[in-house]
Amino acid sequence: MKILRVRFLLISIILFFCATAYGQKLKLDVREHTLDNGIKLLMLEKHDVPIVSLRIVYKVGSVNEHPGITGASHLFEHMMFKGTEIFGIKDYESEKPLLEMEDELVSGIAVEKAKGTDTGKEKIKQLEEELEEVWRKQKELIVKDEMWSIYLKNGATGLNASTGNDATYYYCNLPANKLELWAFMESDRMKNLVLREFYSERDVVMEERRLRTENSPFGLLIEQLNAATFTAHPYGWPVIGWMSDIANMKKAEVAKYFQQYYSPNNAVIVVVGDINPDEVIKLIEKYFGDIQRQPPPPEVTTVEPEQRGERRVYVEYDANPVLSIAYHKPEVGHPDQYVFDVISAILSNGRTSRLYKSLIEEKRIAVMAHAYGGPSKYADSFIFFCSPRHPNTAEDVEEAIYEELEKLKTTPVTASELQKIKNQLEASFIRSLESASGLASEISSYEAISGWRYINTLVEKTIAVTPEDIMRVANKYFTKTNRTVAILVNKNEGKELTDENNKS
Amino acid sequence: MKTIKAEFSLRNLFVLILILSSLSIVQTKALFAYDEHSGQTIEPVITEPQSEGARIVSKFKYKPIEFTPPKPERLVLDNGMILYLLEDYDLPVFRITASFRTGAVYEPKEKAGLANLVGSVMRRGGTKTRTPEQMNEELEFIAASVETQIGRESGGASLSTMKKDIDKGLEIFADVLMNPAFPEVMIRKEKDEILEEIRRENDNPGQIIFREFRKLLYKADHPYSRKTVGYKDTIEKITREDMVAFHEKYFNPNNIIMGISGDFDTQEIIKKIKTVFAKWEKVEIDFPKVLSVEKEFQKSTNYIYKDVNQAHVVFGHHGIHRLSKDYFPIKILSFILGSGGFTSRIPSKVRSDEGLAYSAYSGFHTPRDIGFFFVSCQTKSESTVKAISLALDEVRKIREGYVDDDELELAKDTFINQFIFQFTSSASIVGQMVEIEYEGLPLDYLETYVDNIKVITREDIARVAKEYLHPDKIKLLVIGDMKQFDKPLTEFGEVNTIELD
Repeated sequence: MKILRVRFLLISIILFFCATAYGQKLKLDVREHTLDNGIKLLMLEKHDVPIVSLRIVYKVGSVNEHPGITGASHLFEHMMFKGTEIFGIKDYESEKPLLEMEDELVSGIAVEKAKGTDTGKEKIKQLEEELEEVWRKQKELIVKDEMWSIYLKNGATGLNASTGNDATYYYCNLPANKLELWAFMESDRMKNLVLREFYSERDVVMEERRLRTENSPFGLLIEQLNAATFTAHPYGWPVIGWMSDIANMKKAEVAKYFQQYYSPNNAVIVVVGDINPDEVIKLIEKYFGDIQRQPPPPEVTTVEPEQRGERRVYVEYDANPVLSIAYHKPEVGHPDQYVFDVISAILSNGRTSRLYKSLIEEKRIAVMAHAYGGPSKYADSFIFFCSPRHPNTAEDVEEAIYEELEKLKTTPVTASELQKIKNQLEASFIRSLESASGLASEISSYEAISGWRYINTLVEKTIAVTPEDIMRVANKYFTKTNRTVAILVNKNEGKELTDENNKS
Repeated sequence: MKTIKAEFSLRNLFVLILILSSLSIVQTKALFAYDEHSGQTIEPVITEPQSEGARIVSKFKYKPIEFTPPKPERLVLDNGMILYLLEDYDLPVFRITASFRTGAVYEPKEKAGLANLVGSVMRRGGTKTRTPEQMNEELEFIAASVETQIGRESGGASLSTMKKDIDKGLEIFADVLMNPAFPEVMIRKEKDEILEEIRRENDNPGQIIFREFRKLLYKADHPYSRKTVGYKDTIEKITREDMVAFHEKYFNPNNIIMGISGDFDTQEIIKKIKTVFAKWEKVEIDFPKVLSVEKEFQKSTNYIYKDVNQAHVVFGHHGIHRLSKDYFPIKILSFILGSGGFTSRIPSKVRSDEGLAYSAYSGFHTPRDIGFFFVSCQTKSESTVKAISLALDEVRKIREGYVDDDELELAKDTFINQFIFQFTSSASIVGQMVEIEYEGLPLDYLETYVDNIKVITREDIARVAKEYLHPDKIKLLVIGDMKQFDKPLTEFGEVNTIELD
């Protein structure tokens, strides 16, 4: 080992002097253009293949919701695929009265259900039949998933959308000559969206929740961990929303949400690929320029109060144990975020990372151990996940993680460890330049929480992190008072135990 | 196997990454079109625009795209190694992806898990001259990686390094392939972790369903019915000697196809490859005979109890192998029926119309021998039988008459116009050549691909639908809580209940 250290030291010195000797600058030449209505357009030229990766980002996510409408941002994201006044429908004028009848019948049914009387039951049945009839008529007018199929026909790949805490993203990659098609369809979605097939899509989202959360040990655990970590801040509720909120979501609420947040002044367009930026500006101005600016959406003002003591949560489920731990940490832009980036790399990046070496290779008490603490728009949490190896328990691996955190607090990380992280950071920056799609996603996600320029200082600021910074940050945040622990316990094993207790 | 694209929502993006890495759900690559002659995309035909928006965009004119995808050089070395090389100076990076003819299909039943174990410990256990710790430090310090794995029907190895570290990277890569140490202590560690993985394999219905479905489709003595990670008892039977012998048998230069891409000079890199692999000698490999799959279409209805509020469903039957003459019409049929996203018939009906599932799709799994056709969805317990019936109806309907012209056009245009995305990186270009040669496809596969798609008619679709879809002879498997189902599963036949181990 000693010989190795010496060798590493040599290498690290050499590397230090040619840190940027890749012949590649570690910055992105993004061109920025803002439309009068506030849409921000970010462009990056990449001419190796005639394709273009497109993203449209709306700076709205679950953080902008409130109890009662949790999941609205995500449900809305689904609605964006249902069409507009001119897409997905043969004749909108004929559909309009049906949509109005749908709203009336749905609220009528809700009123009767609230009454809960016997005569109400019959009334409900009658209204439901009428609703079915409205839907049947509407179906004759609908052109199923037309926007989706037009994109596909034109060669789109990576068609998708995702909702997060802080923003909602719409993805599309197209052959470079099809940019105008995208501009036309996306601007139309911003202008003329119709909340079509809302109720069946709400059912789809409930199925999604069952799949990803309720019947997934991991999904369930993360949801409970977040709910316990945040008592006031909206990061505490799940992006997909609580089941009862999804089930009771009203079309009108979602429509209001759209008005408020899907405005040009809250949107960012990202275009990466084989483009001429001047032409792109012209095209985007042509299709998006006439959309009216809206009042700025309300700010999120809730701040999570300082945690006053450890919180522990147990989730009983028919699965083997999993441990999760969360520590509060600051928002993007705070200097400590860069230190957390380094800490997560030291702890869980690769086979030489500390958690892998200690928990999996040496102690052999776990089969999976991860640490993550990437940036968010608001103060969030640094999280650990770990699956113990039977018969070791969640508590065993929890102890082992705390040991590693203590080491971070008391012993400076070695120069070679830090140099390794820096080398990996630079290399991963260079590798990220290979993919237009990856770059578009990266620019979008940083723009959503901070600003794309964050990318251009990320490497240098992370490289500047010192062993002292790491000790300071570890001591400040990785405290018992500041942590929430959530453990998935096998409910069947619990039962056996109770049964045995009852017997004796 | 899951190729559907659907919107997703995440608490944090990393959650997906974590779940993907921890449960090792393998991302499957879909095969798409390539048109080397023209290198151009085509104008899609919008058969009859049905909306105002579609009418407007059907009149859009696009500048033609001029693009000739670079063609990698193919080379066979004296020791039998097949190389695909593609220089790309855009970035100072270097990559190798290699395929070996091996796999779990070649391991004896009583040692199930052997191939997988070899694939992991080969890398994890270090080499005769490099301890694992040494190798990990050496690689990760320069942000490089060397990985190996063995699956059901193939083995793979990869190297990724920066240009300045090519020599070091190649040296370690060759060392891992030729001289793995297989230390007992590392074999034990890996076995223990696999045993834990096995302990956890019933935690999630999504992990159970295809594993059990394979057992229904293939006879117990066929390797397609087995788990590639092995079983509690078979894993303990595997010895170090077995592993060394397995490695020696299959990891030979005449059994590898290597795709090399990045910032290098071809002549120089060939020299380097020859040097690092100088001691690797050609060996005749006597591949064990793998039992042929006997096609059969015996209907059955199967049920597994799990305490969940959503049923996981899969049904299907034997299908085709990868080299089937009907591969292309089946690809189009599959797109129209259920593998093409929202607009395919099954997702359109089950998800979009009825709101019964987030994920509903179908596909053809096409390995070397007879694979399978399958339909899969997850739906709340109370709509289980309804969702199955709706999906099954779609399989029946597509066998009656012809698909619509616009459906066929959509499928064909999609494959042809997406084609350009097969060439977005030099690594993916050489990677797909390695795959094509490994699969035994004609080497001009990409050049003829678009034509193979273009010629397909609705008559072809009708023919393959009748020949390869048998909705009345499906094997159905449902995981969930029967007490909550809308109707009994006996709707589909006598129910066979499977107890999980």
